[in-house]
Amino acid sequence: MREAFIHGCGDYYAAVETDDALVDLKPLVKEATGQPVRRVGRFIQLALIGAGRCLGGRKAPEDTAVYFTSGRGDMEVTVEVMEALFRDGEAPKPLHFINTVSNAACFYISKHFGLHGRSTFLCNRYFSFETTLQLALFDLASGAVKHALVGSVDIVTPPLSVQRRRLHLPPDTPVAEASHWLLLSADPNGARGAITAAAVFGDRAAALGLARAGSATAGATGQFGDGAAFLHDAGLPETFDYRAGRAHYDSQSGAVISAFLDKGSGALVHVNADPDGRYGVMLVRTAPP
Amino acid sequence: MSGVRFLGAGLHTHLGRGVAANLDALERAPPPPVLTPVPLGAGVEHVPSMPLCDAPLTDFETRLMRVAVEVAEDAIAAAGLTEAQRRETTLFVGTSSLDISITEAVYRRELAAGLDAHPLTSNSSMGNLGNELRRALRLGGPDFTFNTACTASANALLYADAMVRAGHAKTALVLGVEAFNAITALGFQSLDLLARDGMKPFDAGRRGLVLGEGCSALVVGMGDGKGFRLQGGANACDPYAISAANPDGSTIASVIADALRAAKLDASSLRAIKTHGTASLLNDEAEAAGLLRVFPAPPPVCALKPFIGHTFGACGLNELILLCGAVERGFIPGTPNIGATSEELGVTLTQAPTPVEPGAFLLNYFGFGGNNSALVVANA
Repeated sequence: MREAFIHGCGDYYAAVETDDALVDLKPLVKEATGQPVRRVGRFIQLALIGAGRCLGGRKAPEDTAVYFTSGRGDMEVTVEVMEALFRDGEAPKPLHFINTVSNAACFYISKHFGLHGRSTFLCNRYFSFETTLQLALFDLASGAVKHALVGSVDIVTPPLSVQRRRLHLPPDTPVAEASHWLLLSADPNGARGAITAAAVFGDRAAALGLARAGSATAGATGQFGDGAAFLHDAGLPETFDYRAGRAHYDSQSGAVISAFLDKGSGALVHVNADPDGRYGVMLVRTAPP
Repeated sequence: MSGVRFLGAGLHTHLGRGVAANLDALERAPPPPVLTPVPLGAGVEHVPSMPLCDAPLTDFETRLMRVAVEVAEDAIAAAGLTEAQRRETTLFVGTSSLDISITEAVYRRELAAGLDAHPLTSNSSMGNLGNELRRALRLGGPDFTFNTACTASANALLYADAMVRAGHAKTALVLGVEAFNAITALGFQSLDLLARDGMKPFDAGRRGLVLGEGCSALVVGMGDGKGFRLQGGANACDPYAISAANPDGSTIASVIADALRAAKLDASSLRAIKTHGTASLLNDEAEAAGLLRVFPAPPPVCALKPFIGHTFGACGLNELILLCGAVERGFIPGTPNIGATSEELGVTLTQAPTPVEPGAFLLNYFGFGGNNSALVVANA
């Protein structure tokens, strides 16, 4: 697969330690987009913040495609609508209902950054960022798109005890909300790095083949499955730990790419694994000096 | 000549269980909707709907998976996939409401039992439906779930076909899944978009949509020269408004033109057009304007939502299977007394089953969030 070149990264991360510790995102949205955005909840706010930081004030080409994912979606809006409906006996409010549609966030991103290319919201249980990146790389390699904005968002919806129940986490597990975005294109000029591959394999041997073929010098494991054993079999030391101190959210593997570009050098293999023996592998390298 | 083809299909809608039953019903006029009761507080709301045939609206915690697996197995059997081929099959799911019907049922049950009930504690993972379907169907490849509202399964097919063509997937199973749920039912009611007397796209009497349920499956892979294939398609975001396309038709015309370009066809070579046709004031106006920008003299134009309701994320694949099946039987479906005159919007719908030859066909889909898609299929 042809490389996709990284021209921008944007991240937001915040651990949420108490029920009333959610950060007010409105000022960050205004900073990231240049204007206040009203009548949207945290999920869309985080999407705008991450995408805005990734673009960094640049005007992306209008035909930039948007690829967006989330592990748990807009839980805030869905919980509000479900509690109102089933617990309180109230019909959904029109705007709340429209915003339960996951790709509402894609709409706001396209609108605020002037984009009208392809737009996709994609989900996967264990490999949300990997599969979304895979689709973007596929489109870039085929020429279906020339520029891609790829991102993930996961939010915390208090109370934290219920958040942990929803995510099936042990009590007291640290939880966080985050937004991770990349701006990719087929143009190597000025790139910060490149993504060589992103794919999910049902076959361990095939996954190992990709990991070995990338000339990687370092490995990183995601939060799902026993990636360490995989890296060992791939002959890669697990030397890049981007997860140390990071609280739980599903789309955490979205953080590794910008973290590696900031702190690493060379080529990295990142692996997640699911309980059925499938592997999500991403290969990323920094730009040559 | 061999190439990427549609190898086998499964379908379950209000019209019937199985592709043949659905196609038989298409030769008759659309059935009327039914009123489905939805509890709301101490009362009950009745919403116009077209629920699945022979699948009572009970046992919501198991119903969705049961229906989806049955339909998928129909498609897999029709395509003749072996166990070994299942292990190399990639799953592409298109859905708007995911498994919310299951989650709603669990929350309702826990509330009624006086438990410490909170929404989404049984499942909150957006990828759960795709994962469970993949496991139930014993598929070994990756799974991708598209959640782009009413374009979801159309987009799922677009990528499935492209990945098989490029050799990134050996075989693809595409599923369209949409089950009745209270949020969707009462959400559309709050938007005042439901029509009790049925869907009448492009008609002066159009009043909105009917809630449809539908589940479809399509196996895509290398096959011989017979049968339908995806000739091309396109998707784009329309930032005009979150719940409607630009009424001047420009963004719809643009995605149709992109689809024709991808299919390497010009507008004059199409045999017929299947509209999105949601019978809302805004959609039909925009879609008609878009069609007339591309087709000053359109070929026969049909709408399928009067037959099965609006099946949201599943409508892409549901309506594609219906159209392809009808064309294989030699006709385009007709909707008597619906969209019969072009005075208001300039577009008329086929009024009766209309003979058609093999050729190329356009299918439109437009979704909340400004997601617009157009597919071109061909069987010649």
